[in-house]
Amino acid sequence: MRLRIEPLKCICCGLCETSCSLNRDSVLTPMSSSIILHVDDKANYFGLVLKTRSEGLVLARPEGLTSGQQASGSSGPGAKPVLLREACDLCGGKAKCARVCPTGCITLED
Amino acid sequence: MYLRNGKIGVFDLATCEASDAELTEDLVGDDISSLVIADKLASIHGEDSLVFGTGVLTASFVPAACAGFIRAKPYPDGWSRFIPILGFAGVELKLSGFDFIVVKGVSERHGYLWARDGIIEFVESEDLRSKDSWVRTDKIRADQGDSKIQVISSGPWGDAKREGSQLVIDYWGGEDKAGLGSVFGEKNLIAVAIRGMGEVELAEPEKHFEDSVLLMREHILKLGPNHGLASYSKAADREDFKKLVHRHVACYGCPFPCRTFLKTEEDPKEMRLAIKDPGYLHYDIPALEVAFASGMGSRDATLALRMCAKAGAEPVAVISNMKASGARVTPETIASVLSDPEDLRIDRVANFEASFQDEGAYRDCLGLGLCPRYWSRIGFDKDEMASFGESAIGKAPDV
Repeated sequence: MRLRIEPLKCICCGLCETSCSLNRDSVLTPMSSSIILHVDDKANYFGLVLKTRSEGLVLARPEGLTSGQQASGSSGPGAKPVLLREACDLCGGKAKCARVCPTGCITLED
Repeated sequence: MYLRNGKIGVFDLATCEASDAELTEDLVGDDISSLVIADKLASIHGEDSLVFGTGVLTASFVPAACAGFIRAKPYPDGWSRFIPILGFAGVELKLSGFDFIVVKGVSERHGYLWARDGIIEFVESEDLRSKDSWVRTDKIRADQGDSKIQVISSGPWGDAKREGSQLVIDYWGGEDKAGLGSVFGEKNLIAVAIRGMGEVELAEPEKHFEDSVLLMREHILKLGPNHGLASYSKAADREDFKKLVHRHVACYGCPFPCRTFLKTEEDPKEMRLAIKDPGYLHYDIPALEVAFASGMGSRDATLALRMCAKAGAEPVAVISNMKASGARVTPETIASVLSDPEDLRIDRVANFEASFQDEGAYRDCLGLGLCPRYWSRIGFDKDEMASFGESAIGKAPDV
């Protein structure tokens, strides 16, 4: 199983970030999540960065998906860098981010 | 205390001293509404204080639990004066380590408050005085090295203490219909910057998550397809508006966004990050309505609202006064008024406040940390909120 992300369906609600941290630490915070909102709000440019075990970093940008490279500025240098975070474990097969995503931007696929 | 930090930050601008107070059960009392707590804090620290607050459900998984608020001294006629803070500002405030921040006194120097990790400090910034709100946001984020800092700022109109001012959150206006930019100006406060890297606990995390997902799915079925601001206002349901739509964007936790970004400087369908300032984010319904009523089309209305946000000027006040005086209303004439303002006659305007006919329901909804616009559309139900309160905070909110 893996997460499928369709970036143009993202509405930047941030629920994926907090649900990911909830799975890891049972608290509300975006700081320990494997999935991170990337936002350049003045330009209304936003997408997701996902740290995976098999594909490295998946960058889900509005112009398309790329994987295997290091994200730049994925959450701002003031936040916990993505490279220090744990990779996605799919919440044991019930990925919370996919379940809470309101638009179907994130789905779980075989 | 679940879903709370249990901490109130107090900053005295006159002495530049920060202190903490505990959010006690006595202070919370029987009424869970954070606006009630804010009233109590203002009575303790002085009515001239600004109280920044979050609702108990802010940052939870309840749909559209994005809201915080700023409470200021009521108008002389007793009319209450508070505004929502939406987007991610309420959530960042909750995760900054404070449930409330009280800002007392008047600073001798111009500067901004910087709150994060349970710390509040005053950063002198005379260089930002008279700069527009966009410059303030850019500079503060660059200086503090974090692009996700939420910046609530005034602009030149706030600095000048003009009644027709508005606070701007990051780059956009729509929350402040109470002239709080001028209150910032009276305190020599350039901005309040907030970043939340903390965490809050839930009483029953899994139950709260499951209940919230179920509720959100019910809402999505009920609401149908989302068209951004056009789903909430006929003002945005016109062809020249639709032609400029780039993307719709949500506040934290909202499955049915009311924010629509229009691109005026490049092809709206351009998805790459090509131009840094390509347009403006619309969610200020009365401002759009008055702009269209003045004869402007969607492109000019977008430019007008963007200029007003930069200046920290409330667009309904600006455009209504121009129209009343018989002036031609165009982006060019608005620019002229913004740079050389006359005293404006201000009528009270409602944006998010207009979501509910009953002010009590509006206060209840906002005081819990929920977006009034979304929840008025869904139907704000006290019993439903009480049910959610149990899994999130361990007891039913008395709304």
